[in-house]
Amino acid sequence: MSPRLSRTLVQLNRFAPALTFIALLLLWEGSCRFFAIPSFLLPSPSAIVTAGANIEWTLWLGHIWATLRVAAMGFVLAVVVSIPLAIALANSRFLSRTLYPILIIVQSTPVVAVAPIIVTTLGAADLPRVLITFMIAFFPIVVSTVTGLLATPEELIELSRSLKAGRAREVLHIRLPFALPYIFSALKIATTLSVVGAVVAEFVAAERGLGFFIMFSTSFFKVPQAFAGLIVLVALSLAMFRLCVIVQRKFAPWSLPKSER
Amino acid sequence: MIRSLLTRTLAVTGLVLTTAAPAFAADKVTFLLDWLPAGDKAAVYVAQAKGLFAAEGLEVTIQSGRGSSDVVTKLGTGAGDMGTGGLAALLQARAESKVPVKAIASLYTIEPDAIFTTEGSGINSLKDIAGKKIATATFSSSNVVWPLLLQANGIDPAKVELLKVDPGALAPMLASGKVDATINWVTVAPGFEGPMNEVKKKLKVISWSDYGFTGYGLSVFASEKFLAERPDVARRTLKAFLAGNQMAIADPKLAGASVKASVGDIDAAVADKQFAASIPLMDNAIAKKDGAGAFEKALLAKTWEWTAKSQNMPIEKLDPETAVDRSFLPK
Repeated sequence: MSPRLSRTLVQLNRFAPALTFIALLLLWEGSCRFFAIPSFLLPSPSAIVTAGANIEWTLWLGHIWATLRVAAMGFVLAVVVSIPLAIALANSRFLSRTLYPILIIVQSTPVVAVAPIIVTTLGAADLPRVLITFMIAFFPIVVSTVTGLLATPEELIELSRSLKAGRAREVLHIRLPFALPYIFSALKIATTLSVVGAVVAEFVAAERGLGFFIMFSTSFFKVPQAFAGLIVLVALSLAMFRLCVIVQRKFAPWSLPKSER
Repeated sequence: MIRSLLTRTLAVTGLVLTTAAPAFAADKVTFLLDWLPAGDKAAVYVAQAKGLFAAEGLEVTIQSGRGSSDVVTKLGTGAGDMGTGGLAALLQARAESKVPVKAIASLYTIEPDAIFTTEGSGINSLKDIAGKKIATATFSSSNVVWPLLLQANGIDPAKVELLKVDPGALAPMLASGKVDATINWVTVAPGFEGPMNEVKKKLKVISWSDYGFTGYGLSVFASEKFLAERPDVARRTLKAFLAGNQMAIADPKLAGASVKASVGDIDAAVADKQFAASIPLMDNAIAKKDGAGAFEKALLAKTWEWTAKSQNMPIEKLDPETAVDRSFLPK
């Protein structure tokens, strides 16, 4: 193989994901045009971009901020509650026996079904939205953190005990650092779940936010506009996921697999 | 020095209190819409945009509800003070659970429910619906009355295939020919234009009111707690709201612009058309005879009769007069 061909193949391989994505978009656009699919059934990418561009950027910012705010508050609440809860569960067999079944019941409850009741009970301010987001996002963090805390090698625990390390020290300096890969995996799942939670809450009661925007657009049968909202929502989810990866790389690089450091 | 400082402090405090006084004095009211912001919900936005609430010393927060029953529940639990919704939903709720909410003014004196179909579908009257496939929104209040309307017109409900779908799917399903007709309020018709134009079809609207479905539709509700504790605020809110409605009826072009002032996403032109479509439901012979906002005894009884029959409830289960309070209407 000539060096030139080899270089081209390397370049092609490098841009393969982007090229696949562009090819898919072209296929989508082409199909919509060729088969004259009405925009209310499947809008073409160009129709979605046009619909999105027709919305004033200040409106976009308002909706993005509303969703981001609730998602972030729900996410932070989930982290603040879940990690101490996981430590308690991992350290106490009694708590694990009594609380775990309750947590599973909460997790098994379809939040979409109870969301209207939560809003009716707590009013239509931020509190019910944050609670709905929390309910969707907290469980993976609890489960993964408990698994991580319990997966610490016994030799390390025995060593710390032989050096007379206290219980708090054992958790803070041995178990928690060991659980970090598990915790970060859960946090990545929880970021996307918190966006889902914020949208569920907006579907039930909101005057702003990307979930509201999508619902509002479909109420006027503006499907391309709803798709534009959906794409922004996906972008927001990806950005939050990415932020989580950056935080992990910056503050706890050892918790990443060697290939990703 | 100290005296001068004291004088200055007092002067500044006085100035702050004087300028801040109107803001503190405004009475806060939470107003719930029965659905998402749209042109047919313009009355409250006109009252807001034209300063009618402010002139009455009110600070009104508008929130969108998710259906008439949602508004009744939220008013009942104190999540809102006043709102709009279909009267049937309130009558049903009061018959079932004595929810502490009352209707204080009527808006639609003609029922807004209708069948939407396309020109050339072969559906020219309600009777043609037998054997057809039609779609309706899953939680629409129209679904409750639908079988009764068919029976009253000699049509077997079992002969009509009824699909329950998301409200956002109705226009696409009709335009793409997946269903022969949909059930909607006439006020939604302008929103159907986009999908219909795209496939070069023409919308045809058949109103249920032409087939014997009479009664009060959209009305203004308020929580009993709000009416008991702040009757004067309720009276002023209703006054400004009804004035806003009259302003929009006189000049429907106000509707779109007023909604747009609060809800930036709205298409003002479509909103104007939506409000215009709702005018015949409010500005008609019944409203002229009884006065704007009134609940006439016989028509109120008729509204309950339709609701009770469709819910298989005995008529005696509720005296509809106990669900309304006419004392808040402007004199």
